[in-house]
Amino acid sequence: MTEYSSLKEYVDDIYTCNRTRCGFCSVECPVFRVKRMETYASRGRMLIARGLLEGVLEPSPEIQEVMDDCLMCGYCQARCALDNLHIFSAVRQELREAGFASPKHEKTANKILDEGTLFDRPIPYRRVGTTPLYLGCAYQSKPQEVQTIVSVLEKVGIDPLVSDEVCCSYIVGAVGFDDEYAQAQARFRQVYGSHLDKEILTVCPTCTATLRDEYHLNVKHALVAVAEKLQDMRIRPLSRQVTYHDPCHLGRMLGVVDEPRQILRALGLEVVEMEHHGIFSTCCGGGGGVLEVDRNLAIEVSKNRIRDAVAVGVSTIVTACPTCQPTLLRGAGRLANELGQFVDVVDLWELLDQALD
Amino acid sequence: MNDQETVKAALADLAFLGDRATGAGMHRMAYSRDWSPRFKDMADLPDIVVVPHDTEEVVQIVRVALKHELPVIPFAGGTGMGGGIVAWKGGIMLETKGMNKVLEVDPANMSVTVQTGITIWELNERLAPYGLWLPHQPESKRACTVGAAIGCDNDSTFGVRYGKILDCLTNAVVVTGRGEAVRLGHRKASFSSTGYKLMHLLVAAEGTLGVVTEATLRVVTLPKTREVRAWVFRTLIDGARALERTLASGMSVESAHLNCRQRLHFYTHAYRQKFGKEPEVPDWAESILFLSFAGDEDVVQFSLNKAKAILEGEFQAEFVQEQELVEGYWDSKHRLAFLPFKQKWPDSQREKKFGAADVGVPMGRLEEMYRAFLDLSSKYDQQILGMTVYNESPNKVSPSISFAIFVDDSTHQAVQKFYGYVREMSLKAVELEGTMSTYIGDGDRLGGFNECEHGLSFQYMKELKALFDPKNIMNPGKKFESRWISAKC
Repeated sequence: MTEYSSLKEYVDDIYTCNRTRCGFCSVECPVFRVKRMETYASRGRMLIARGLLEGVLEPSPEIQEVMDDCLMCGYCQARCALDNLHIFSAVRQELREAGFASPKHEKTANKILDEGTLFDRPIPYRRVGTTPLYLGCAYQSKPQEVQTIVSVLEKVGIDPLVSDEVCCSYIVGAVGFDDEYAQAQARFRQVYGSHLDKEILTVCPTCTATLRDEYHLNVKHALVAVAEKLQDMRIRPLSRQVTYHDPCHLGRMLGVVDEPRQILRALGLEVVEMEHHGIFSTCCGGGGGVLEVDRNLAIEVSKNRIRDAVAVGVSTIVTACPTCQPTLLRGAGRLANELGQFVDVVDLWELLDQALD
Repeated sequence: MNDQETVKAALADLAFLGDRATGAGMHRMAYSRDWSPRFKDMADLPDIVVVPHDTEEVVQIVRVALKHELPVIPFAGGTGMGGGIVAWKGGIMLETKGMNKVLEVDPANMSVTVQTGITIWELNERLAPYGLWLPHQPESKRACTVGAAIGCDNDSTFGVRYGKILDCLTNAVVVTGRGEAVRLGHRKASFSSTGYKLMHLLVAAEGTLGVVTEATLRVVTLPKTREVRAWVFRTLIDGARALERTLASGMSVESAHLNCRQRLHFYTHAYRQKFGKEPEVPDWAESILFLSFAGDEDVVQFSLNKAKAILEGEFQAEFVQEQELVEGYWDSKHRLAFLPFKQKWPDSQREKKFGAADVGVPMGRLEEMYRAFLDLSSKYDQQILGMTVYNESPNKVSPSISFAIFVDDSTHQAVQKFYGYVREMSLKAVELEGTMSTYIGDGDRLGGFNECEHGLSFQYMKELKALFDPKNIMNPGKKFESRWISAKC
């Protein structure tokens, strides 16, 4: 029988869940909302973890597929006292050690390890300045968005310094590549070493959470810095009704929930809340590497998020994440015919740039 | 577990569901238990899991089950405390949450028709824009579906004003063990005096007569405001009598929960977290009554003042000044607004877990039943969690009681002791002119043993079961058979 040394660390949590079954995590889990099976919600996954530990189940490609269909969005963990996400990462790690890992995840991990980046970059962005700003792979692949962010930061009086970067490698750890993740972290520290003792501004929610929680660095999301300076700014009001989609890492994991809303209101926008918001927001579909291994699931999740906005009568979603925006736009596009309307998804930085003098 | 050849043949016949029918181990494992006390490492795997999307698919599934004589177990919230969805005879686990559509909202008739796999929480989200809600509100409402509420006849926080699910249910579609979809009830009318009340049989049937796939529910207007307050009493019966007097005054009480001292501890976790101390309750207080009033603000304020005058003036109750304590209770009971990572469960359930005898007795026997709780929990070495008396018949003191304890589920013997406690509590309730269960149901614990309560009518129940389910495929091992408690009275 397999040893499962990583998983055994969590045996108490796993049995506590198995014996409790409160179900707070289940029905609103974004994957469950699509699949409608216990297996895909946290408490079902916890029973699978127990099945592996007890030898009732053996590692298999089918279990790997189910475990890969987790967005790692943390909704279940926000509803629970248990360490759900680490448990799911440990299951992925165990499956990988038993020879069951997605080739696509392997490819992604290898690309990050070989090239130091998740996405291909046109020309790495650099800027001389005074305040370290870590862009991360997603923004480094979007030069126009970076120009917008830098423009906003300049308008509020921040002089960003963008130097050489490598990937924070969140996804390497999330999909169960623990040893490789440790190597990637070491490389990050080497490349970004000159800024590690300073406060680092960040823009990607996932990078921010990773640098804070896994690297234990002093990071501040740039929107928080902007919110602090907003009262001194001259604003051209943008009068319209919007809803705000909290990116999982920014809202639930970093607790940056109020600042984006303060900014939206300061810009003259009326914010209508969707049923799932703040720390109980739901994933856009782009989390946990699901886009790579189960694109249809990711699209269905994003469509459900668009339906959430339509349910409260809003046709513009604002968000602040380089993954959420394109993922939601994809969902909006696929749903447009069914709904008879296109729900637009706008980046908060773009609105800021329009409104700030 | 059933014969593998039979299971294989049934799976082949279920191929019309595509990947919504599976015999894979991981899916079977994910449906292997509910919240009922059982040994820590116990798991009952069904042979097959299916996820139908509508009544027609359920009909086809039941016909496949009939052909192969395989059990069909409807699965809904999975939070049951009685083992109602445990597949201890294997078979086809029918996940009902794939049927979660709202079929019609009819505000003019204050009615909604749904597929029964929708949770009560989801349904109320859908009703809110119309200013409506379904007032049947079990604490499990995040996971509990409309079908589960019908099947289990579970508790409702607001029972003293609105009753339980049966008071809302006007029509249902059930796929019986004959493989037929049958409409029962009286459409959108609130009641009917024609024919027999077959729809009523579905409530608390735990899926043993069929799978309820659609329901029409009478819904009500969302109240404009709600206030919750608490008072402490010197005795339990004082609390119950004070409630009766309050109702007799003509007021509409929305919820009325009477707790013993120990039970309060379970519900004040948020208070302890916030203030780092136990809430202040006088040493002499034996019970605490939480009342809520809802409606227009002036009516609610009048009701609060009138209740205060009755409880304090006529029953020497003491008002609980710490509203934080009351709000903490309400967060736990109704809003389900626990602090993430610090909620009352599962943290309180790492070592032992929640378990209860859920008996009903008439109000005059409350004190006797409570004494039996203290005696029997001690006799069976059960650690007391406490008692809550819910009232769930409109405008009446109508005890539905949770006599809860922390169950040691580390060994078979310890769990068996818990069921020894449940057995004796159940017999005591019958002796006190009451019933063995008011909201958990028979599940796999009271079946057969419940003949001690029902006598000759138990045989009539068997006949009824055979009418709906001649081959005994609908959730067998429940209602008429127990794994835990011997049938001897």
